[in-house]
Amino acid sequence: MNVGLRILELARAAGARSIFVVGTGKGVGKSTTLGVIYEAACGAGLRTGIASIGHKPRWRLRPQTLFATARALLPASPACQILCAPHVESSAGALLYARTVFDGEYDLIGPSSASALRESIGGLEGLCEIVLVDGAIDRIATLAASDGAIVVACGAAAATTFAEAVAGVAALTARLQIAPATPGAEAIELPGALTATTAAALIATGEEREIVVRDATQIVMSGTSLAQTLGRLRVRCRRPLRVVAATVCALAPERFFEPASFLRAVGEATGLPAFDVFAGAAA
Amino acid sequence: MKANDLFDERTAELLGFEWLSERLSPRSPYGTRIFAQLVPFRRGGEEAAQGRAQRIAAVAAEVKADRVAAVRIELEGLADVLSAVARASIEETLHDADFLDLRRFCESVERIDELLGGSSLPEIENDATSAVLTALDVGRPGAPEFYLADAFDTGLAAARATLSQAQAELDALRGRETARVAEALGRSEVGDEFIVMRADLRGPLPAGVRVVREAPTYLLAAIEHGEAFLAALGRRQQAFDAVAASEERVRSQLTAIVGRQAAGMNAAAVAIGKLDVTLAAVHFSQRYDCAAANVPREGALRFQCARFLPIDNELTIAGRSFVPIDLDLAGTAVLTGPNMGGKSVSLQTCGFLALLVAFGVPVPAAGASIALFDRIAWLGLGGEAHTGGLLSSFAQELVALKALLSDNAERLLVLADEFARTTTPHEGRALVIALLERLRERNACALVATHLQGIAGAAAVRHFAVRGLREIPRPAEVGDLSAALRELAEAMDYRIVEVEGDDVARADAIALAELLGMDAAFVEAAYRALSQ
Repeated sequence: MNVGLRILELARAAGARSIFVVGTGKGVGKSTTLGVIYEAACGAGLRTGIASIGHKPRWRLRPQTLFATARALLPASPACQILCAPHVESSAGALLYARTVFDGEYDLIGPSSASALRESIGGLEGLCEIVLVDGAIDRIATLAASDGAIVVACGAAAATTFAEAVAGVAALTARLQIAPATPGAEAIELPGALTATTAAALIATGEEREIVVRDATQIVMSGTSLAQTLGRLRVRCRRPLRVVAATVCALAPERFFEPASFLRAVGEATGLPAFDVFAGAAA
Repeated sequence: MKANDLFDERTAELLGFEWLSERLSPRSPYGTRIFAQLVPFRRGGEEAAQGRAQRIAAVAAEVKADRVAAVRIELEGLADVLSAVARASIEETLHDADFLDLRRFCESVERIDELLGGSSLPEIENDATSAVLTALDVGRPGAPEFYLADAFDTGLAAARATLSQAQAELDALRGRETARVAEALGRSEVGDEFIVMRADLRGPLPAGVRVVREAPTYLLAAIEHGEAFLAALGRRQQAFDAVAASEERVRSQLTAIVGRQAAGMNAAAVAIGKLDVTLAAVHFSQRYDCAAANVPREGALRFQCARFLPIDNELTIAGRSFVPIDLDLAGTAVLTGPNMGGKSVSLQTCGFLALLVAFGVPVPAAGASIALFDRIAWLGLGGEAHTGGLLSSFAQELVALKALLSDNAERLLVLADEFARTTTPHEGRALVIALLERLRERNACALVATHLQGIAGAAAVRHFAVRGLREIPRPAEVGDLSAALRELAEAMDYRIVEVEGDDVARADAIALAELLGMDAAFVEAAYRALSQ
């Protein structure tokens, strides 16, 4: 099956103009996932934009793709159409937006600040039918103000055991998918982050009201703390995020999981449509 | 904007120099460079200072505020092209992003000239900006982006056509190979690397597929491209190299044009910078309803309906308004008046206007005649340096005075607020009289605000006074400071008048204490003590 096309359909069915691919760690197939979605978008004839939160070197782009990069990283040839050079900085210097004319390898990079990144993605959304964003879990705040769809990539590289990998992606998905606050329900509105300390205090007092954070990025916990908190408190958010799929990579240099079982387990643990981008399979 | 030695840090703070700098700041990198070097006019430069302010006021009158705002938005978006122009002039090939910046700069110059057409401001566009724009506009005239289009060079178009053909050939070969492998594996598609489950394999892997990694249940595989593909890849690389060479040739040609126009481009950048600095002052003048002051050669300070804008701004935010003041000050004078009557603000108004005139900027007044001073100095309340506990307030005042008097500056504007207020009234009075005498000897222009009695007569100087409270306002509700201040503002006549002799209007300090919420017993005790 064409995994990229299937994910693209899921995102577009959710009304998303952008797709963020985030991973549970390094080497979990984030770039491969992004690559198959990109190929599917180009194949479907969509005006496609692509951005990366961090530096993504030598990414093969097809003609007519919009992308963000640093001035210093733009290859001289083949020449691109340079759309604008906003006064925005990336870690590699001043940023610009360009459109490819020929196939080629291009470096992608995003603005240094989360607000500029949001602006940049918004700008690309205005020019494209779909914008693909190579996310980074530590820059997840960028997702907060986005109406984009999120794809979570997980794999053997980010965990030492099969069970740990499945639990990790399940926890991340649960965090990203915090339900919206119930209108009219009694609630404690948290002005900042929900940390393990705050959660422990609320659990200790037997708090039953909804605990409302701005969005999932305000929950600063993982693993057991997160699972316990979500199990014992009614955590809600003001701006829910849309996670549409999970992808798996059963291979890592140090270990491998049985691909079909891993794919099935991730699908069951997350409740999301799950895909193996390497095997071209769905759970 | 550099104060140089016109005033010290504390005086700058009290006169709102930073506030003013922010409001006069230009928008473009060109303006910012010029603004950073802006220094005050000095004596002898009266005509130039007055001329600059008059030009700014004239532009403020002839160009509508929305036009000024539109030009300033255009200026804000300008990229700094000076580095690109410099590199081009020494024959370093420019990048496409440089060409985009250069074209945008030249287009902005055109738009700015268009927006300011018919005004007295000089045109920025010159032969160089026109030539660069014409050169860079080839291929995609008027397009918002920059592209090294085929129209720049016929060889470029041919090289790109060859590349497109080579790429299509390569894509077709790649597509055929992956389709063949996908079909052999019974899948709709395969990527560069893919997994094959051993359980799904009905025989050996298809030809041209190599195993990257083996696992008990699956194989990680990749397509190994054949000779035909590699040959096509070679042709594509050759075509790509030809395109790269053609593109670089076009860039070199465009760079040479920019290099030849370097002097004109630099002149346009300087002109844009000056315009930006001027328009910042024009915007200031329009926003705060300013007028160009007359700049006389003698050291005097005369104005009508003047405002100290930093306080005016604060009052506006608080829903109150500034009462403009008039003053005619030549030589030294004393300023008296009640507490909270605006004596300090009057001194600040004097300094603020003198500061604006020094930079050739119109002043927030209905009319003004203000000289250029060598030094503007603040003494007394608020003028203390931050020296920790090493010097008392009194000692700091005297250290500041000594420094001021030992300064060789010929024309001083001294603004003294409650000088010597921290010693006994008797000795304080003597010190203020001595100060006035010394300042008169120095031909300084000085306004000395004080509560001390009998100064003007003893020092033989003019005496100005804030008119003061029209009536004692009713105390506001307990704890409502804003209401108390509103009541006070309504009851206070902040205007300054010249008075005869030494009559110091009452300070109304006890009434003000009551208005500001001091309890009745305290107020009564104060009145009782006063009557004794």
